[in-house]
Amino acid sequence: MITFKKGIAFKLALIFSGSVTLIFVIIFGAYYSFTRKMIEKNTAENARNLTLGTVARIDGILRSVQQVPENMAGTLERGTVNKEELIGLIKSAVEKNPEIYGYGISFAPYAFDKNSLYMSPYYCRANKSLSWLGSDTYQYLLADWYQIPKELGKSRWSEPYYDEGGGNILMATYSVPFYRLVNGKRTFTGVITADMSLQWLREMMAAIKILDTGYAFLLSKNGNFVTHPDHTFIMNETIFGVAESLGDKKLRGIGRGMIGGQAAFVHTQRLDAGKPGFLYYTPVTSSGWSLAVLFPQDELLADLTHLNWLVLLLSAAGMLVLFGVVVSEARSITGPLTHMADATAEIAAGNLDVKMPETRSEDEVAILSRAFSAMQLSLKNHIARLTEATAARERIESELNIARDIQLSILPKIFPPFAGMPELDLFAVLKSAREVGGDLYDFFTVDEDNFCFVIGDVSGKGVPASLFMAVTKTLFKATAVSGTPPEVVLDNVNTELSRGNDKAMFVTAFFGILNIKTGVIAFSNGGHNLPVVMRKDGSVKYLWKTGGMVVGAMEGMKFEPGTLTLAPGDRLFLYTDGVTEAMDKNKVLFSDERLLRELEQLHGLPVKEVLNRLLAMLVDYSGGDQSDDITMMLLEYKGRS
Amino acid sequence: MNISTKKEASALLVTVAGRMDAVTAPEFEKSILDFIAQGERNFLINLSGLEYISSAGLRSILASAKRLKEQNGKLVFSGLQGHVKEVFSISGFHGIFKIYDSDAEGLKGF
Repeated sequence: MITFKKGIAFKLALIFSGSVTLIFVIIFGAYYSFTRKMIEKNTAENARNLTLGTVARIDGILRSVQQVPENMAGTLERGTVNKEELIGLIKSAVEKNPEIYGYGISFAPYAFDKNSLYMSPYYCRANKSLSWLGSDTYQYLLADWYQIPKELGKSRWSEPYYDEGGGNILMATYSVPFYRLVNGKRTFTGVITADMSLQWLREMMAAIKILDTGYAFLLSKNGNFVTHPDHTFIMNETIFGVAESLGDKKLRGIGRGMIGGQAAFVHTQRLDAGKPGFLYYTPVTSSGWSLAVLFPQDELLADLTHLNWLVLLLSAAGMLVLFGVVVSEARSITGPLTHMADATAEIAAGNLDVKMPETRSEDEVAILSRAFSAMQLSLKNHIARLTEATAARERIESELNIARDIQLSILPKIFPPFAGMPELDLFAVLKSAREVGGDLYDFFTVDEDNFCFVIGDVSGKGVPASLFMAVTKTLFKATAVSGTPPEVVLDNVNTELSRGNDKAMFVTAFFGILNIKTGVIAFSNGGHNLPVVMRKDGSVKYLWKTGGMVVGAMEGMKFEPGTLTLAPGDRLFLYTDGVTEAMDKNKVLFSDERLLRELEQLHGLPVKEVLNRLLAMLVDYSGGDQSDDITMMLLEYKGRS
Repeated sequence: MNISTKKEASALLVTVAGRMDAVTAPEFEKSILDFIAQGERNFLINLSGLEYISSAGLRSILASAKRLKEQNGKLVFSGLQGHVKEVFSISGFHGIFKIYDSDAEGLKGF
């Protein structure tokens, strides 16, 4: 079972999908931001075009109304008119200009008639009646439309207002101050007012359609709503009031910009619903109003939003497909790996015949699989060979053990050797190394007085060495006949062993003949370790050198004779290099010097005891890892009592 | 055991270092026999770096020398010291092989 949840497949899919998602998000983000900016830019452009015409039309209408009182101000300033002419002027102004709802000329106190405080004829289109303003109850001299132009000395549109008397319609009044020269001084004489219904303005603004829920509105100089789709706003709310109630500081800033006569495209909240939108505002210069158009953001970006959803949906679907593809592809890679792991585990458990998974492609996994199969095969072969080799080695080892047994069995093992020979005490040991070696020792009598002894070490190890040793021992015994001096015995043995000895095997041997009557030893040394002479007084020393080539190496070698005399109680210690060359775990040799020291310490002990103690010491020294045969022989001459 | 060789004008200088025992001696013997097969006849064996030699080592030297003798070649030694010198002395090898103190002397001997 593939546990891909934490496996390579899952990780791979995760990494792929994650990376692709990241890339997509970046691209999408950039695309969205760019598109949105473009839409905003287009919208701003549209808004500008849209408002341009409207503002021009409003300005045109307002200017045409402004024209009338302004022209009349010029007329009044240039010359005096009588009452009838004044009424005629007023009437004709209303009749000739359909936009004008009411028209009046209000003189400053006593300016028209020295006897009259008020002079203010007003003609209204609705009831086609001329009325005279100014009375104790209506002090037009204190009204805004009179006071403000007078004080500012400038023509001016009033704030729009509801004319409560005339049908409750929204109106605005244009007031123009006019002057006359009195005693050469330009003196304020009165104010001409043209009232205008703003009904057309509402209709014009209502005609501006912006998407489905967008709209246009007009703000007065003071920030009052002159038009707004929601009629309750009109002359009832200021933009600052709305900003206050929404807690929108930005809107307040926008309001300041609008009444300041600026134009801008800003992102804001919708004034009514609190939803986001884009606002474009531009001034209506003639009246100081501000025309604004609001684009609801959701509608404006609706296409973009739809596109976003579509792209997101497609991306999610694509991501799912990608995820699936990656997982399936990765599983096709990891599947064989998992099988391989199982197969390997089985191989590890010892089943070498398990089949590696088949691979279709030529990828790395296939290579790995083939490599595994190859490994499996070679492992199988190797194990087969190893099994064979082990069997062979076991057979050889058992043969070696037999060889060792034979080697040991042909050595004399009865001590003391000759019950009827009180002149002599002797003990010998041979401890084989793990691998059979070629050490040997032997002793025998050749006649009544002469006792022969030999110790030797065949070069090398194993079966060849043990065979060579057996031959050597036999040759010594056969050659050492009564009366033959030791060097001749060695010579003869050498000659026999040298023949056909291609392998250049040889034996080092020390051969001696002790005359048990006299204690004199005649000996010859064939390249063997020097024996130690242990005197009765406890002194120990190596036998002097006699030279001599190893035995069996080369034909025609001459061996030197030597003699040594033992007094009763003297001993001769013979050994092989397994003693002096015993090694501790640091490969340090036991050494000739150490051997001499130890023998000195063991002075006076029985011969058997001396060898046993030495052997124990050597076994201990080599730490149980004996590398060579250890052979020792200790001979004591007791003399004739 | 470490064996290195250097071809000199008169002989092949073989330097043996380490230990020559039952385990490593066959390696020595094989390398000498290989050189003989390649046509080398004169060998100077420098044993100054040899710490230990067992009877198996002696045997491999002897076997090499025997083979060389059949081919009218020659095997000499230099740089013997310590244990090795002692073993050569006891085993009588110093009697059948020429042993020099230095390589220079040994090379002159061919």
